[in-house]
Amino acid sequence: MDQAKPNVPRNAGAVNLDAEGLAPPETPWEEFLRIFKKDYQALLGFLVLVLLLITALAGKALTEWWVVFDPQVVRLTDKFLPPLSVPSPDSIPADRPFAGVYLMGTDELGRDVFARMFQGSFVSLSIGFVAVGISLGIGILLGGLSGFYGHVKLWFITVDTLIMRFTDAMMCFPTFFLILTAVALLPPSIYTIMIIIGLFSWMGTARFVRAEFLSIREQDYVTAAKALGIPEGRIIFRHMVPNALAPVFVSATIGVATAILTESGLSFLGFGVPPPYATWGNILSDGKGFVFDAPGYFHSSPGDFYRRSGL
Amino acid sequence: MLTKRLLLLIPLVLVLFLLQSFFWVPTYESQSVGNPGRLRTYIEASIGDAKILNPILNADAASSNIVSRVFEGLLDLDENLNLRGRLATEWSITEGAYLLVNPHHRFPDGHEVTGPQLFQRITQALKAGLIQEMPGMTRPPELLPAGQRMEKVSIVLLDEQGKPRIVEIPLRVEVPERVAFYLTQVDQDLFNRLTPVLGERYFEHFPYEEFIHPQETVDQEVEASLKKKYPEILPAGEHNPTILFRLRQGVKFHDGHVFDAGDVKFTYESIMNPKNLSPRTPDFEPIKHVEILDPFTVRIVYKRLYSPAINAWTMGILPEHLLNEAALTLEKEKRGLSEEAQKTFGMRESQFNRHPIGSGTFQFIEWQGDEFIHLRRFEDYWEGPAQYQDFYMRIIPELFTQEVEFRTGAVDLYGAQPHQVNRYKNDPTYQWFSSLAFAYTYIGYNNRKPLFAEPMIRTALGMAINVDEIIEYLVYGEGERTTGPYPKNTEWYDPSIQPLPYDPQGARDILESAGWKMNADGWLEKNGKIFEFNLITNNGNPIRKNLMTIAQNAWKKIGVKANTQVFEWAVFLNDFVNTGDFDAVVLGWGMTIDPDLYQIWHSSQAGPQQLNFVGYNNPRVDEIIVRIRQEYDRDRQEQLTHELHRLIHEDQPYTFLYAPLSTRVLDKKIVLVEEGPDGQEEYKKIFPIKSGDITFYFHKWRKLEFTPNF
Amino acid sequence: MWNFIIRNVAQRLILLVIVSFLAHSFIHLAPGEPSEVDPMNPRMKPEDIAKIRAAFHLDDPLYMQYVYWVRDLATGELKSFKDSQPVLPKIWDRFLNSLPLFILATILIWTWAFPTGIYGAVHRGGAYDRLTVFSSYALISVPGFFLSFLAILWVVGWFGVPVISIKTFGMEHAEPIYQAMDRVWHLVIPSIMAAIGGIAILSRYVRSQMLEVLGQDYVRTARAKGLKEDTVIYGHALGNALLPFVTMFGLLLPGLIGGSVIFEQIFAWPGLGRLAFEAILARDFPIIMTLNFIVAVLTLLGTLLSDILYAVVDPRIRLH
Repeated sequence: MDQAKPNVPRNAGAVNLDAEGLAPPETPWEEFLRIFKKDYQALLGFLVLVLLLITALAGKALTEWWVVFDPQVVRLTDKFLPPLSVPSPDSIPADRPFAGVYLMGTDELGRDVFARMFQGSFVSLSIGFVAVGISLGIGILLGGLSGFYGHVKLWFITVDTLIMRFTDAMMCFPTFFLILTAVALLPPSIYTIMIIIGLFSWMGTARFVRAEFLSIREQDYVTAAKALGIPEGRIIFRHMVPNALAPVFVSATIGVATAILTESGLSFLGFGVPPPYATWGNILSDGKGFVFDAPGYFHSSPGDFYRRSGL
Repeated sequence: MLTKRLLLLIPLVLVLFLLQSFFWVPTYESQSVGNPGRLRTYIEASIGDAKILNPILNADAASSNIVSRVFEGLLDLDENLNLRGRLATEWSITEGAYLLVNPHHRFPDGHEVTGPQLFQRITQALKAGLIQEMPGMTRPPELLPAGQRMEKVSIVLLDEQGKPRIVEIPLRVEVPERVAFYLTQVDQDLFNRLTPVLGERYFEHFPYEEFIHPQETVDQEVEASLKKKYPEILPAGEHNPTILFRLRQGVKFHDGHVFDAGDVKFTYESIMNPKNLSPRTPDFEPIKHVEILDPFTVRIVYKRLYSPAINAWTMGILPEHLLNEAALTLEKEKRGLSEEAQKTFGMRESQFNRHPIGSGTFQFIEWQGDEFIHLRRFEDYWEGPAQYQDFYMRIIPELFTQEVEFRTGAVDLYGAQPHQVNRYKNDPTYQWFSSLAFAYTYIGYNNRKPLFAEPMIRTALGMAINVDEIIEYLVYGEGERTTGPYPKNTEWYDPSIQPLPYDPQGARDILESAGWKMNADGWLEKNGKIFEFNLITNNGNPIRKNLMTIAQNAWKKIGVKANTQVFEWAVFLNDFVNTGDFDAVVLGWGMTIDPDLYQIWHSSQAGPQQLNFVGYNNPRVDEIIVRIRQEYDRDRQEQLTHELHRLIHEDQPYTFLYAPLSTRVLDKKIVLVEEGPDGQEEYKKIFPIKSGDITFYFHKWRKLEFTPNF
Repeated sequence: MWNFIIRNVAQRLILLVIVSFLAHSFIHLAPGEPSEVDPMNPRMKPEDIAKIRAAFHLDDPLYMQYVYWVRDLATGELKSFKDSQPVLPKIWDRFLNSLPLFILATILIWTWAFPTGIYGAVHRGGAYDRLTVFSSYALISVPGFFLSFLAILWVVGWFGVPVISIKTFGMEHAEPIYQAMDRVWHLVIPSIMAAIGGIAILSRYVRSQMLEVLGQDYVRTARAKGLKEDTVIYGHALGNALLPFVTMFGLLLPGLIGGSVIFEQIFAWPGLGRLAFEAILARDFPIIMTLNFIVAVLTLLGTLLSDILYAVVDPRIRLH
């Protein structure tokens, strides 16, 4: 997990792999596990991620399909209750939270923070996963192209130069600023945000995948496959991609956290996911106006959740 | 190892150095210790930076805050919101009115209308008392001979993409004989009073084509628009309200130049100069001409009745000598601009807008973008210099950090958020002022959409919302219910109108009687369609966002499905509000004390980019609105506004929610300083004037070293 | 050597063209109009809007707008839509405001990340290592604005001194030393906040890089020679472990400027990030484009410098 972060020093990825060049044959899954095992934190992080995925799905299910926790009920009389408090006696029975307790208290409109966090976990994580999915897609495609077909000439420049110069150009821009501009100019929706974050964060992956491809291309098993006359497409997708991907996926877990954080930054500036969707970001930034008055609400849960999703 | 030690030492030393700086920074209590200037410095915070410091160009709140201190108008509003002379000492409003001879009309007795006949009949009727009394007529009418004039008219046409095409057409206007009336007060019904003499429909068939001759051939489209303008170019019955200002003598601009009538005329001309793109043009466009009678007397003649016009003279007056053609030419030469830049160079490009010079209480010192604007008191102000020496407007974009700065003493005034008001009210360090703001918050329905076409439906939607609960819990009591389009603390508001009750059952009944039945999913349904619409608002305003959620939730309970969306302000305006492409919005209006509501409620203002974006249309309301803006008498205006208020309340084009209170918090050490009879300073508690404004006496404010007891 | 530099500079010039083109087309392809053109000011009449649109060439084809932009940028006459002020001096002023923050944050990141990371690597698996690993992940995954709010809340709550903006207002009449220290104090919290994320990430890299190097043969050899542990680590391993970080220097700037949008907004700091944010809100295209472009130029300069530096210090890279 340590080496797995976009913007790594240019040679870091390649250096690592050289050291592993002589490792015994293993399936991608085994390699994935091995990388994780090498670093117990990565494994832990992976487990937490799976856990969060389950939470997110449960959140979607329990707040929208079978509404056990309703994040949208407004109960102005019950605003800013501390965690584990009970609704006021004069509230409408239909509006009471599940089991009659606000597990994490209520927000400024008397909505159940737990229910909102639960719903938000789905939204936030889907932003994380979709954005990372998009950036992986672009990154792997461009990185792979330039790593494998890098020497091919188009007119006067090689594919590799073309793609890598484009990547370099994109890396020169302040990413958050670009995302902010795009989100501000486009109609706000959860999809816009996912896509924009994805579109502007593939550069690290592309460089990483390119480095992997360059080193894998020289490995014995690829040479062997070529010698056996296996078609190029099959070599790429059957043999090279899976081997290049394992470390990329490890970096993706951090990408998920980064995307969620980016969304929270956008929320803070007022360009996050619009209501009624709750996300961890907008729950947190909604709380910023009440820091002096209901510090408990601001301090409570979203911060914790971030910590866990990043781990 | 040296490296090891350095690696540890450098960060530690660095952090220690950084942290020790803490001991040099003053806390709230020690601000003025060894720094007495702090007591004479006033610091305010603003969310956004100013854009342009020019009274005829600025349009945002931060700029107008600064501009109102640096510049001064001819008039302003006093404690009771009446006009008060500033750069003008006296003013009077009179009227000249002109009735054109309509050669195609016949008098009631069948006789043809000619100049002498018309004049004679009117004079006779006046003498005989046949005509209703004409208030304020001190001079008998006169018959003016026919004449001719040349002028140019520009026509704006929009093509399919909404892009404008501008055509300028020179005209020759033959003015027929006309009867002139001179009145000491403005009378919008003057020509109606002449009906016994003129007969009915004198003004309806006026043959404009015979008098107005375009000097160029134009295509049909242009001609049609031009014809619509004829009644403006040559009105058959023309009112010319006239204001005569006597100006204050011995007033100086901050650079020492003396203010006179030329500056007033120059200010008007700059506003009307199309190159400057002044947002103030609508207020000054009704002016026919400005005449300088002597260096300290100006006469302003208006083309038509427009009572809000006088309020426009509260706008700051520009110094002519710094902005006239000669000064601008000098500036562009000095700045060494390219040729193309020189061509477009105008007042908007001038450095004056960032270093303004006016004649107000404070003079401009420095502007650091997005950081602060610094003003200093003007020692030669005609009413004497202010108590505060320095004025800062700081730009702090987050409310939370504004409060932090206020509590550490780096900002003097804080506009408390509703949920913070109680905390400040109980804090002995501070004094607070709570008053109704000139604003209200509402849910506006797109009246054009069939779903909201019926007032009944809009009333039902309003009844489903518990506004009292919103006021109590969302704004913590910092708001009052409002029922109509006027600020609650003006005479224009009719307090006898009762707000809509909170009655979800009643709302359900109304909707049911309109054919909306509850379906199995709990939504109202009619002809197979459920009652569903989008409710939108702009981002950056948490209260509006919350109101939206509350309304959504309240409507859900009566089976109405509202989908909520928040848009960034520019997108919100461009894509939804300006195009009328929305269902319902949560918004607020900020108002002035002007009773003129033409722009917001008149049905002619419902086009794209106009303010009646909900498309409200009620002919009776249109008529009253026009009467209000033509009425110069305050009492009659008041009657009209009450009627207008009632009509709008009955139609419920908006659900009027509440008028917010604004609460401002100040250190108790800030007081009003007045000179007593014996030359001794006297301290008084700061108090709000009728409008709720506390800064009316700002020039007397000062911070004391101790907390006074009042 | 010169060849290497010239080739690098040439490559970057080409990149610069790509960058400027991207910056321009990207912003113009997005919907939305400058606010002064399609303004909040509802009194603007269609003919007024037409005039402004013409003045800013908004109706011309994209490539012409690009040409105008480049020309105006080159002649220094590029004007902001918002207030008709020249763009370059405006950006320069803000850059000077942001500079102390960038510099201090950078210094903090680099001076803290190395000791933390190295110590963690040397004492791998120990309590300290676990603690730093845990806390750095915790810091990476908490939004910066949340931490900043907490920091402001605590500092102001406990000590009652101003922390927002460049300096304490109302101190114009105080002693110069007080004013200077006051400015330093106002730098402290925002730069720490801006640096925290960087320290957390960088110290991870340092740690893993260090681990990698410590496992190399030459380190083992050095140890076998009986050199002192400190000499091995700081004399032999450290230098090699640090090499790759030279290249990171240039790529740091976009991140700092991107992040400064949030920190400058919170701390009311009149710097580049604020300028950018206000420009985005007002659809002030000239500012947005130029800012993007200038940051890209600075980044390119930074990477150029670090590439040259890298080539100089790393003997494995041949200069041709």
